[in-house]
Amino acid sequence: MINDKKLKLGLFDFTDCEGCQVELVGLKEKLLALSEKVEIVNWRLGQAKAQWEQFDIALIEGAPLTPGEIDLLKIIREKSRLLVGLGTCATLGGIPAILDKEERQQWYNKIYGPEYEGRGVDALPLSAYVKIDFLIHGCPISGNEAARIFSDLINGKKLNYKDYSVCFECKLANLPCRLLEKKPCLGPIAQGACGAICLKGGSACYGCFGIKEGANVGALLTILNKFASEEEIENYFSMFHNKSKLYDHR
Amino acid sequence: MIIDEFIAKIEGHGALDIDWANKKARLRILEGERLFEGILVNRPAEEAPWITSRICGVCPIAHNLASVKAAEAALGIVPNKTTILLRKLMMASQIIQSHVLHAFFLASPDYLGIDSGIELAKKNPEIFKTAINLKGIGDEISLAVAGRSVLPTTTTIGGFHKIPAKKTLTELSGKLEKNLNYAIAAAKIFAKLNYPQYNIELEFISQTDKKNYPGYESEIIISSQKDDSAIEDYKNDIQEEVRLDSTAKFGRYHEKAIMVGALARLATHHDYLDPVCRKYLRATNFNNPFHNNLAQAIEILHFYKKAQEIVGILLREKLDPTVAVPSANPPLKGIGAVEAPRGGLYHEIHLNDKGKITFINIITPTVQNLPSMEKSAQAILDQSPKISLAEARKLIEMLIRAYDPCITCAVH
Repeated sequence: MINDKKLKLGLFDFTDCEGCQVELVGLKEKLLALSEKVEIVNWRLGQAKAQWEQFDIALIEGAPLTPGEIDLLKIIREKSRLLVGLGTCATLGGIPAILDKEERQQWYNKIYGPEYEGRGVDALPLSAYVKIDFLIHGCPISGNEAARIFSDLINGKKLNYKDYSVCFECKLANLPCRLLEKKPCLGPIAQGACGAICLKGGSACYGCFGIKEGANVGALLTILNKFASEEEIENYFSMFHNKSKLYDHR
Repeated sequence: MIIDEFIAKIEGHGALDIDWANKKARLRILEGERLFEGILVNRPAEEAPWITSRICGVCPIAHNLASVKAAEAALGIVPNKTTILLRKLMMASQIIQSHVLHAFFLASPDYLGIDSGIELAKKNPEIFKTAINLKGIGDEISLAVAGRSVLPTTTTIGGFHKIPAKKTLTELSGKLEKNLNYAIAAAKIFAKLNYPQYNIELEFISQTDKKNYPGYESEIIISSQKDDSAIEDYKNDIQEEVRLDSTAKFGRYHEKAIMVGALARLATHHDYLDPVCRKYLRATNFNNPFHNNLAQAIEILHFYKKAQEIVGILLREKLDPTVAVPSANPPLKGIGAVEAPRGGLYHEIHLNDKGKITFINIITPTVQNLPSMEKSAQAILDQSPKISLAEARKLIEMLIRAYDPCITCAVH
């Protein structure tokens, strides 16, 4: 991917909290250094200038919830050499995916009244509609991990995930094990690189970086079933994995 | 293409319709509905702050703490003094983070004749340096107290899972001292920007405890037109209108279009500002909504000083890490109100006796600002008979940015 011309980057957001873009802005100088190597040709949140030709890289944050977003996703796919999902709403459906498609109608009625026709169809990951080249998970993404992946992306390297789970990072940080304290935790099966940041703050791990490839979900469930109710386990998995395919494996 | 109708450089997706023949302006909100008020039902109370903070990546702390306060009211929990101080520090960092992001990176390019915040680096390096340093400080306070710069990890109903060590607070104190000049620079920069000059009658609303500049503690809602109301009546006094072509509701206070946020707090509470902010008040025109961005810069300085003050108190006092527990026979219904960066935010939570959420209602600041944005847009059209459609569109988009709408919050 080495050539003189700057890579054309489009940064798009569908329905979400925009927190992953805020994490990117939080990279400050690092972001500036990366932005020197690409030309941001389309970024609604950051600039008015918007080109719609080809993109070398399209980054998409958020879940394609409305028909307009689903159509736009397909258009962006056609125009992009590499399509990368940014953040858990894009990669797994995120928090909005807690609700199933069928449940949405009753909430449109309750929240907006019977006259209102909801725009949102269903909160699904980008991969439900188009082929995705790589997923940068996280709710929110880790700025540093995203910077590492961007750097590889811009330099044409093969993209990969860290070869460890959140559990490993938690051990490195010397934190007390939640499972030993009989508190549910998805750390052992969750893809790492977040630095176990939620666990460091005292919160649970709901596996927002996705389920690590090859993780033994069954073994974790055996442990969880020893002290947690079916409902509690369901709650933990539903936070970010309601629509992820791996959820069906448990 | 559909995306081109979205207004650039605001949080979330909205479009501006101008009926040029009749000189009318209207907003259409197009963000997808995530239905947070549905997502939360049947989930445990303790998940409320975790989930609602994900309504908005720009003001997650405000949502997190509004839910915490609502759940504590429902459970009859009285948090300790350390907890309150740490939450006030979080709110200070929240205001700094959100205002810096918006005022510098999204709004200031309008007044400087450039397109994006990234361009500031080359074209206005001093302004860029100020923005980057202040964003860094806001993020560091959040990281130290809330556990992460975006989306808190340490907070819980009743207190904190973890409180910062004195050593962390000492380091924070040093950094705040060292970078104070950037907070002063923020107010100076925005006092000197060239804002479009309009005079529009604005009614301002703010939560208050009548003792402090608004933020974490709220007891009543006050209006610049002396039309006060109780927080408990928020749902009656802030009426939300559903428009069939908009995914966000439009909120009016006592049936009037009102403005909430930085300019509203400044108008109603300038007597409570840190003294160092006072001289920038003279530059503020409370009839010009574009001055909301100046008010944001003044608030950056105020909350910076506030953060310094709170860190000082935390360093002097013995910190109590205890998490407060529910009282016997709690009401199981509670309202959590805070002044978020964009104005008054309300979370109401009802629980069953197993601690599961049975009902949640959220009214966000931007919902309250939407009718005022349309009213001010209309005033611009009325007051500028000679401008072209293209100029009107540009100016009204600037106006909308000046209000700092958060559409992701408004729809939620």
